[in-house]
Amino acid sequence: MVANTKEVKDKDICVLRISPEEKRELSFKDEQCIGCGICEKICPVEAIELGDIGAIERTGVDESKISVDEEKCVLCGMCSSACPVDALELKLDEKSIKDMEEYPKLIKTAEISDEECIFCKACETACPREAITIARVLPDRSKLVTGEIEIDKDTCINCGVCEEMCPADAIEMEHHEPTSSDPTVSSDISVNKDKCVYCLICKKACPVDAIKAVCRSCSYGEYDLKPEDSEIKGSSFIDEDACVNCGWCEEICPVDAAKVKKAFEGELDIDLEKCEACGACVDICPCNVLSFPESTKPGEIVEKLKKDETFCIYCGACENVCPVEAIGVKRTDVDFTPTKSKSWKKQLESLKT
Amino acid sequence: MLFGMCLLEIYILKINVSVINTHGVQMPKHIVSGLKYLTAVELIRDGLSQKEVAEILEMDRSTVSHYLNGRNLSWNSIEVAEIITKFCPKDFLTLTYALLDNSEKTRIIVKTCSKKEFQAEIEESCIGCGLCADTCLMNAIVLDDLKAHIDSNWCNGCLMCRDVCPTNSIKIFGGK
Repeated sequence: MVANTKEVKDKDICVLRISPEEKRELSFKDEQCIGCGICEKICPVEAIELGDIGAIERTGVDESKISVDEEKCVLCGMCSSACPVDALELKLDEKSIKDMEEYPKLIKTAEISDEECIFCKACETACPREAITIARVLPDRSKLVTGEIEIDKDTCINCGVCEEMCPADAIEMEHHEPTSSDPTVSSDISVNKDKCVYCLICKKACPVDAIKAVCRSCSYGEYDLKPEDSEIKGSSFIDEDACVNCGWCEEICPVDAAKVKKAFEGELDIDLEKCEACGACVDICPCNVLSFPESTKPGEIVEKLKKDETFCIYCGACENVCPVEAIGVKRTDVDFTPTKSKSWKKQLESLKT
Repeated sequence: MLFGMCLLEIYILKINVSVINTHGVQMPKHIVSGLKYLTAVELIRDGLSQKEVAEILEMDRSTVSHYLNGRNLSWNSIEVAEIITKFCPKDFLTLTYALLDNSEKTRIIVKTCSKKEFQAEIEESCIGCGLCADTCLMNAIVLDDLKAHIDSNWCNGCLMCRDVCPTNSIKIFGGK
């Protein structure tokens, strides 16, 4: 008889069924799990149980967010197809069912077009999952302004005023203690022309007029500056394991370079009468949808809880953790790739509430 | 009715076990020889040549010839083998598999010596978990588009797939 085996490593779970014909492997990555409980809902054999998510999230207790009963699990893969954050994955002979056409999967994407992106890093800062990395190469500062600068070392008295005042830290002096054989306070002074922006502050501040400098851009305009020298180059990267397709990047992008497609549509309802402002939902929400409003002026009484539904993925984690049933998450649409299997279709449709 | 048959067979099996014991450790091999003999006879009847039979059962051609001429084989072994082929399909299959410890030969022997025909029907509630396919000793089940398909030619009606199916989606008919 074929029997399942289970391996638990830290908080990750792996259930295996190996027959002469096929190896089935269901893996659960706790770090990716957002505690929504969709796996528990869709499992046709009730093999998955959602843990006490609120307690796990808020106390950091060393426990997996879900448990899988390997005696009950039949390794069908429905949990893997329905998980909105790909924390569960079924592999058949090492191939993920996410790469197999016959298996339906949730239609959800998050993309940043490097063509459109201006690498401002707003999305990187806003992403609640820290899934975005923007790598950018800034232009060479010396190519954006040109000029000439020269210090007459015979006139210079090494007072250090220019070095202290230079906003670009472009002037460097070789300070030393004066001796009878060399009665100076500095042996040399130089200008780093990669750093100098020809602002002429040094020239104006020098008490002995030892600095001759001119900004060519100011005098003759920007005719000799090449537009390509001011180009910002870069690339964007979205960590698909961490991304939850919440849409923060799309919303915050100033040039519409980020595009997000969510798998679920729905409604998020908060009953402020029932809400006791415990904050469990605020802590569990993977998308920073829920927050406590702050009063803007003395004596102002604010609402107990604020929602920003634009970023809601309707996963239902907040509803699960709310101890007073003040939150209702309705899923009105579940978008998944077509399948010929009626049972799979029915089961995925059942996620609508 | 199947249940009744199984009870009877447990009784017969007890007799067989006593036969096995009195004849020592060689008895399982004798029963296997008996099963191979019965299979060879059926295959020849189906029009196969001795050479083909030898290939299918992975035996020497001369051994097949000897078998068919009733040599090198005790009639007692054939008798026990015949009783085994009349067991309920699950017992016939699992006992044969236990005796041979070879999936391919078990399939051939059970398919050839099973007289009954079975038709399988998979309901739409099948989730394509593949547990039936992994369980089927006849390798009669394949998954296609997340649904199991049972090849009636190979199904011997053991019902083990039906027993493991988590969604009760397998119906097996026949047995005539």
